[in-house]
Amino acid sequence: MTALAIALCILCQVFLVVGQVLLKHAMAPATESAGLRAIGVRNLLLGIACLTAWFFLWVGLLQQWELSQIFPFEGLNPALLVIAAWLFLGERLPPSAWVAIALITVGVVLVSSS
Amino acid sequence: MTPRPSRAAWFFNAYTQLAIGALLVTASELLLKKGATAVGPGGAFGVATLASGWTWLGIVLYVISFFNWLYVLRVMPLGVAFGLISAVHVLVPIGAALFLHEEISARRWIGIALILAGIIVLSRPVARAEEKL
Repeated sequence: MTALAIALCILCQVFLVVGQVLLKHAMAPATESAGLRAIGVRNLLLGIACLTAWFFLWVGLLQQWELSQIFPFEGLNPALLVIAAWLFLGERLPPSAWVAIALITVGVVLVSSS
Repeated sequence: MTPRPSRAAWFFNAYTQLAIGALLVTASELLLKKGATAVGPGGAFGVATLASGWTWLGIVLYVISFFNWLYVLRVMPLGVAFGLISAVHVLVPIGAALFLHEEISARRWIGIALILAGIIVLSRPVARAEEKL
């Protein structure tokens, strides 16, 4: 793995996190009401754009390196997303959920680093 | 058009859909890898992998899983949904071992166990919260 590959993997995950936050915002029932529909549609399209960027980066990375070498970087996502959902969407999760996310993150890192 | 939750509508349950989504994403990842391997390294951003039919099949499954994911997001918090979709990280190594002949080391099995434990812990408070609804 080169430094470039690692940087691209991380950039990939940033696209994914931003895209997912936009999608969740677009799909939230609150966005459908009170004249927010236009913002919902915009966020849906922006989210799809971010995920499209993520997708092609991802396929490109898969093409160059083994699935099992690239895949670990997705381990960052559950942790990044739960933080992003807390900061930007105001999601409040019980402490056990944070423990669960920590377990999943460590698990994904182990799966990926072997 | 979210159906009212009932026993008859189990198929439309967010958890059922999330599980179907995890299977679709796993199949998609394996197909994309198969397509990428068939084409070989080279080219920018994986566009060359579109020469393989496997890549297209992977894309089709991915698109289906996308709508499935939007459906799940309507009702489930993003942090919880994304934690649960980590089941993909259990299914992909196992699928890669079965179909792509990649090996699963002892360390990877431990990781798989930790992810499963995390998924179990994560789904419990959510199930409890739903009972209140």
